[in-house]
Amino acid sequence: MRKTGWKLARRVLVSVPILLVVSFLLFAALRLLPVDPAAMSLPPTATLAEIAEKRHAMGLDRSIPAQYGIWLDEALHGRFGTSISLRRDAGALVANALPATIELAVCAMIIASALGLGGGVLLFYLRGTWVEVVGDLGTILLLSVPDFMWALLLLLVFGVLVPVLPFMGRIDPGLSVPRGSGFLLFDALSAGDFAVLRSALRHLALPALALGMAFAPAIMRVLRSSLIDVYHEDYIRQTRLRGVGEVRILLGHALKNAILPTLTLMGVQFGFLFGGTLLIEVIYGTPGIGNLMVDAVRNADLPVIQAVGLSYCVMVLAISMAIDAMVLMLDPRARAI
Amino acid sequence: MTVLRAESVSVSAQVQGVRLRVLQNLDFVLNAGSVLGVVGESGAGKSMIGRAVAGALPDGFVLDAGRLAYASSDMGTMSAAHRRSLLGREIAFIPQEPMAALNPALTIGQQFGGHLARLGMSDRQERATAMLEAVHLRDAGGLLQRYPHQLSGGMCQRVLIAMAFASDPKLVIADEPTTALDVTVQAQVLRLIREMQERVGTAVLFITHDLRLASEICDDVLVLYAGRPVEFGPAARVLAHPSHPYTRALQLSAPVMHGERRALFSLAGQMPGLREFAGLQGCVFAPRCPVVQPDCGSVVPGAVNGVSCLYPDAVDRIVVPQFLPASPASSSEPVLEVSGLHCSFAKPGLFQRNRVVAASDISFRVDAGEFVGLVGESGSGKSTVARLVMGLTLPDSGDIKLSGDLLPASGGASRRMRLGAMQMVFQDPQSALNPRRRVSDIVTQPMRAVGSSEDEMAARVEVLLAQVGLSREIGQRYPAQLSGGQRQRVNIARALCVLPKLLVADEIVSGLDVSVQAQLLDLLLRLRAELGFAMLFISHDLAVVRYLCSRVLVMHRGQIVEQGETEAVFEAPQHDYTRSLLAAMPADI
Repeated sequence: MRKTGWKLARRVLVSVPILLVVSFLLFAALRLLPVDPAAMSLPPTATLAEIAEKRHAMGLDRSIPAQYGIWLDEALHGRFGTSISLRRDAGALVANALPATIELAVCAMIIASALGLGGGVLLFYLRGTWVEVVGDLGTILLLSVPDFMWALLLLLVFGVLVPVLPFMGRIDPGLSVPRGSGFLLFDALSAGDFAVLRSALRHLALPALALGMAFAPAIMRVLRSSLIDVYHEDYIRQTRLRGVGEVRILLGHALKNAILPTLTLMGVQFGFLFGGTLLIEVIYGTPGIGNLMVDAVRNADLPVIQAVGLSYCVMVLAISMAIDAMVLMLDPRARAI
Repeated sequence: MTVLRAESVSVSAQVQGVRLRVLQNLDFVLNAGSVLGVVGESGAGKSMIGRAVAGALPDGFVLDAGRLAYASSDMGTMSAAHRRSLLGREIAFIPQEPMAALNPALTIGQQFGGHLARLGMSDRQERATAMLEAVHLRDAGGLLQRYPHQLSGGMCQRVLIAMAFASDPKLVIADEPTTALDVTVQAQVLRLIREMQERVGTAVLFITHDLRLASEICDDVLVLYAGRPVEFGPAARVLAHPSHPYTRALQLSAPVMHGERRALFSLAGQMPGLREFAGLQGCVFAPRCPVVQPDCGSVVPGAVNGVSCLYPDAVDRIVVPQFLPASPASSSEPVLEVSGLHCSFAKPGLFQRNRVVAASDISFRVDAGEFVGLVGESGSGKSTVARLVMGLTLPDSGDIKLSGDLLPASGGASRRMRLGAMQMVFQDPQSALNPRRRVSDIVTQPMRAVGSSEDEMAARVEVLLAQVGLSREIGQRYPAQLSGGQRQRVNIARALCVLPKLLVADEIVSGLDVSVQAQLLDLLLRLRAELGFAMLFISHDLAVVRYLCSRVLVMHRGQIVEQGETEAVFEAPQHDYTRSLLAAMPADI
């Protein structure tokens, strides 16, 4: 157990330099853009001298590494600068928008895992039947449908043609949002406000399903093929020779081994899933960091882009760390090394 | 009481219009409390008997004739549910690869407990502990908390034996249960199976390719060749006085541990594949039989006193040639001198860097044209020594001299000096040969590196293939199209390409059948007479070392504990470890 703890601690330590490198690359790329934050933050009537003075005050006349140093120092103190277009603290903007994105991503992951793992096991269990052939073709088809395509399709079908689910925002406009963490589901549950909970879930259904369905087929296929591999192992044959039934072999003996490569893939996939939230949020008007990012890019709002980019990076690292922890939990051999 | 009875059992599959028979006309009786050995080389169909009992025949294969009966029920017509209710309860299996046969994601306790729960036992913890103690595992309670990868192969096999016998089964089928284990562990596991079997009067079907093992543990043996029974009877008679030419040939192919060293009988050819023996007429062994008669090719021999041969008296005419492997002149100069070699590996840890000593104070020499054996158990450091000699692993300290010249510890000069002078032959011929290259490319690889012309290489291929006894057409094939024995010959040909002074051979005959092994051992001796190379021959099989090597080094825990003339060391071992190794070797047959 101590060893496992150390491994996770080491993983956390490694993510610090990763974050530094990513933030520097982001910073450098943004500074190389032909936009001048000083000029943008002054009224159009400002003189060249005023602009130069502002540039000096903002440190923009110094080298990029030096500017990065200033930004880093500020960021470490929790200050991510002021949004150029909204005139508000960039950090606060991100903090307000983040819960919506995380809620969407987590729900999408749950849907992707449930569909992917369940489908993978089912597809494997029905191997050799016509279901497998159809399922196989189906997953190949599904693999080629990107998340935004699902988003538009689901919106069209369940939002417009058969209007059973809402497809704009996070909650019905008439409801008052309970105050708290910003995570609607959590806040509604803890306040005991089931009307809000229901509305929030209904609003999440389509975007989360769209995102989850895009990532389920890959999980499904990997789980099925690693189950096929595991079934060639001696211990499965030996278990069968002890008279253990097929369902029990699958769920009690094979799955625990087959899930390991699948988990590793899920770590990578869920990294992409965070990227996927951006388009989904735009399509469904979710007030998350995706929409914030799109607005910031449109307005060349450098501090906000920087802050949002960094929060994407943190989320990807966090999910891959969580997956690592799960692998360590499930694989005794990984714990030993 | 008869537990398992086969009456003219046949197992076959219909493939592309041809009926492929893996087993035919099989007759045997296995009584309660006795051990029946099924012996034969790979491809003989030994494992099919166990698979037929388990109802786990390969796809398409069915029991299509005869009757295979467990107690009084016919296994051919038994329902799947009925069979499954017997498995693990009345019929238990001991596998070939113990480490692979335990689920790596579950603890021993979870697996053992699950099994006992299926048997309907309530006091599972106590029962599991008692069984693990019965197979002489210490700290049984602690063991239940551990995962398979934390145990050795021998411990895993004991766990599996404990599980197999936990239900007091009537029949245990053990398929090569000791092949993956060290020789000392093998002896313990054999004793254990016998002990457990006697405790509850279980009948054991013991499948093995090793006649010596069969003679140690079995009451009766059934010798299979190409799916046909060739000899069946009491082990003492069948193995000591074989009446079938095949059994006799197998007996004479195995090197002996005691008495005078005798030359090995070389059984020509190889076991036919399934497709080939679909078309065979008469006695299946006739094409390879050393005492074949004209009518053997047309008349199918019936079993008389368990022997399926038209001319059982002919076995006496099978004799081995009189020559003994010649030892080289003792006055020759050394090719390889190793002194004070020490090697350790860092064991990964977060703060403390433990070092594991893999080899310490290794000193020995190999003279020109001399074959030196290196024996010891897995983990004793044999392969580390091979890697150190080849320069694949760098030593912490110590010197290696090649023909009197000191090799630099590392770097290009060291590699160049080694390249032309020593070559390694690896254990697993399958993974040592690039599957995407033709044999002719593989054997001349070293020449390509020095820029030889295509003509030179083509000529060399021809010479090399002839030397290792392969026909010219083999050059155009890919490794996957060769048999195990042929692959190992290609492996040897590649090593001989640059005419090295020293071969380092790591367990090169260990995965092979005894008849193929005999051919390869004699090939090495013949090639030495032609080419005069020396060899460091790593093996766990002392009998093979005794046959091939004039001197032997015994390794134990990273050290050479004893070295000397092979005969002297084996006759009068000085070190306790050597003695225990020798004692664990199964007796000659």
